Amino acid sequence: MNSSISNSRKIYSKICLGLLALFIAAMGLIHFIVYLHGANASDFLGRVFESKAALPKIVKEEKDLVLMFGSSMTQAGFSPRQFDRLVNAEGKNIKSFNYGFGGLNPFFQDYLSRRIADEFIANDRQLKLAIIEFNPFQTTKTRWAGAIGSIDSYLTILASDEELWEIAKAEPERGALLYNIKYLRRHISAQLITSYYGRGLFPRARRERLEEPKALIDARREAGRELTELFAKEYPDFDDSDWYYPWQGGGTIPEERSARTLEVFKEYYATFQHENMKENYRQNRIASADIEGLNFEPLLIESFIQIVKNFQQFSDKVEVVMLPRGHQWIKYSPEAQARLDATIKQIEAATGITIRNHQLIPEITPEMFSDVTHLARYSGDVAYTNYLVKQYKDQL
Amino acid sequence: MIFNTPLFFLFFSIFILCYGFVFLRNTPRVYLIIVGSLIFYGAWNYKFIPLLVGSGIADYFIAQAIYSASTQAKKKLWVSISLCLNLGILGLFKYADFVLESVAEFLLVFGYQASLPTLSWVLPVGISFYTFQSLSYTIDVYRGEMKPRKGLVHFVAALSFFPQLVAGPILRAKQILPQMHAIALPTWESAKHGILLITVGLIKKTGADLLAIPAQKAFEAQESISTLEMWTGVVAFAGQIYGDFSGYTDMAIGIALLLGFKIPLNFRVPYFAISPVDFWRRWHISLSSWLRDYLYISLGGNRTGNRTRNVFITMLLGGLWHGAAWTFVAWGAFHGAIITATHYLGNLATFKSFNESTSKGIKLFKWALTFYLILIGWVFFRASSIDNAWHILVEMHTLSDVSMGNNALLIFALVTVWTLLTHIMDFYVIKGAEKLEKRPWLFWLLMVVGITLTLFIGEPSDEFIYFQF
Repeated sequence: MNSSISNSRKIYSKICLGLLALFIAAMGLIHFIVYLHGANASDFLGRVFESKAALPKIVKEEKDLVLMFGSSMTQAGFSPRQFDRLVNAEGKNIKSFNYGFGGLNPFFQDYLSRRIADEFIANDRQLKLAIIEFNPFQTTKTRWAGAIGSIDSYLTILASDEELWEIAKAEPERGALLYNIKYLRRHISAQLITSYYGRGLFPRARRERLEEPKALIDARREAGRELTELFAKEYPDFDDSDWYYPWQGGGTIPEERSARTLEVFKEYYATFQHENMKENYRQNRIASADIEGLNFEPLLIESFIQIVKNFQQFSDKVEVVMLPRGHQWIKYSPEAQARLDATIKQIEAATGITIRNHQLIPEITPEMFSDVTHLARYSGDVAYTNYLVKQYKDQL
Repeated sequence: MIFNTPLFFLFFSIFILCYGFVFLRNTPRVYLIIVGSLIFYGAWNYKFIPLLVGSGIADYFIAQAIYSASTQAKKKLWVSISLCLNLGILGLFKYADFVLESVAEFLLVFGYQASLPTLSWVLPVGISFYTFQSLSYTIDVYRGEMKPRKGLVHFVAALSFFPQLVAGPILRAKQILPQMHAIALPTWESAKHGILLITVGLIKKTGADLLAIPAQKAFEAQESISTLEMWTGVVAFAGQIYGDFSGYTDMAIGIALLLGFKIPLNFRVPYFAISPVDFWRRWHISLSSWLRDYLYISLGGNRTGNRTRNVFITMLLGGLWHGAAWTFVAWGAFHGAIITATHYLGNLATFKSFNESTSKGIKLFKWALTFYLILIGWVFFRASSIDNAWHILVEMHTLSDVSMGNNALLIFALVTVWTLLTHIMDFYVIKGAEKLEKRPWLFWLLMVVGITLTLFIGEPSDEFIYFQF
């Protein structure tokens, strides 16, 4: 009997070591391949990582805090330093921050807003004002379908261990998968890899793109090159951050740029005004975000409501706004408008907040857009920030 | 719990450490297998554990009663009780709603609007597999093909043995019970073969998940798609269901080998079959042999002159075993028809030389025809309804004027090559695994590459297809 026991231990030692070595070698190979591709979580969510890392510093700021939270439209359309200059000139004591992120839908933003809430609540700090962007086309089914491959990876980046544990308790299989992605795969899930290679192998069916005048493309390229050079000259100390603390997560302000830079910016954005270019952008947004049909994904709407509730925990005042849209190019169908109206009602009923619709404000003119949704730097962002100041300065 | 998930990896790591280093004697290991298997099963839905254990306990005692019954009539009574019990449970959970809905639809044809109540019960995972396995024990004892073995825990452990619990292979009591009574130590060679099968199974499952995408595009298309894409989808489903199911059973056999158990092969490169009869000798062997031994032979088999009827009933019920839907009935009937046709043509003098020919050209023709027929069968199997199946068959056989999607040709090529590759891989595992296992460097290199591939590629997937059966 003793020899059988010792044989059992011997063979199972060999089996377990074999399996372990096999698994370690395979995982090592995966990390090596991912490393060769230069893919890591901080690369594809760099701005999110950096903005999260800035939170401990933000909560220690002495001034009253304002935070604008939203999509890439917020990222491009809100200038914190411009906001601060104008409101503080009225005797206020404000420091504002831009928490706008491209590529995050409300499902992911919900988790990010929880992390912001964690930091503020742990430090017993309040926001004087939270301005949250409700972006209709970020909450569509099409947008959600486009995010499927990245859900697990992003979730492991944005969710806390406690939240992962809650998922694991409810769905052990999924919980184990998420822990595996977080701790053994360094946030790079197999789905993310597959969708990356899948896109390469089977690119989305290309729409017929409208031709843009070659002279315009050349002019844009030339202006872009000059802007890069001017930037390097004017900001030699910039550290290449995605979310740069000295600029409070926003961009630079026109007052600190040279006259030549502002002139080149005008030339640069002028090249975006061609109607074929606008139409190409519009078609792209229709395909990737159902921007005119607005078939909403209920989960994303629920997530958005949760974002508002998260901010309500640590904010004196929460405002929900819809940023200016390029209504000259993006036109909702009557059904889409009805769906949007119903969704707005749903959010307002769930949060108790009236959504401020800035989509059609006259302060924003067509040439202030870089494409059909994002505001251009030094014109659109300034104009919209000025508008926000006008709306909220008295409440600060 | 699914084999290709981190949760199973965690579960199995703990299990094998306990199994190999703590529970070293036979009986404690049997108890460990029961506990492990119930955790494995309970991770899906613990509420059905009593059903699994209860039906096992009942069949254990029924088998004893059959053996000790003094008359044939009493034996028959006991085996009938076992049949009623097992098929009753299966029928209640799996077919009750289907029957009620079908009756309502039938009455509607005659203008009667009957609102029959439905149960809407959740189908316990693996119920079709463990019910058949348990049933084989009482039938074997009734037929005198085996004596009931003492040891209730061994029987429950055999029935609930987690590697094959939820998607087979369907083991006979005479295959697994003796092994449970004297659990063998795996040799290093058998363990390596187990690791090989687990790796191959994982690769096949990974490929199957990717094939699900073009298959879904064809079977769930909201609008017309091109003829080529329709064929791509059907071939992709053939590859998907093979990779999914045979991949699962490969892993099951591999895991069992690591625990010292031998489970027979369930697939022998089925898409290389050269006739429908040949296909069923290679596809889901444990089910087809179960149906042959316990249903076809019980109906009279070849002997009564009712072979056609018996084949047809067997295939029809075999189809129904897969699911409570008319599409599965149609799939079974289709296979019944092509097997019957094969038998009929095989007996015709005109086809004698064709049947017996060893010419490569004729073999290739037979293979192509068989594969085509199998694909037609899969259309019924995968379609959401008979109408949907018909629509797909029409789309496959008429030239659509819808233009092809992006990379349609490349996708068709990849789908076909992958389906073929899995078969070639299986062919070499069956024929040449020993040679490979004797070259440690090559063996471990291939295993690392295989596991890396499966950890590298992922596609959100709804479990294994055969879990639902």
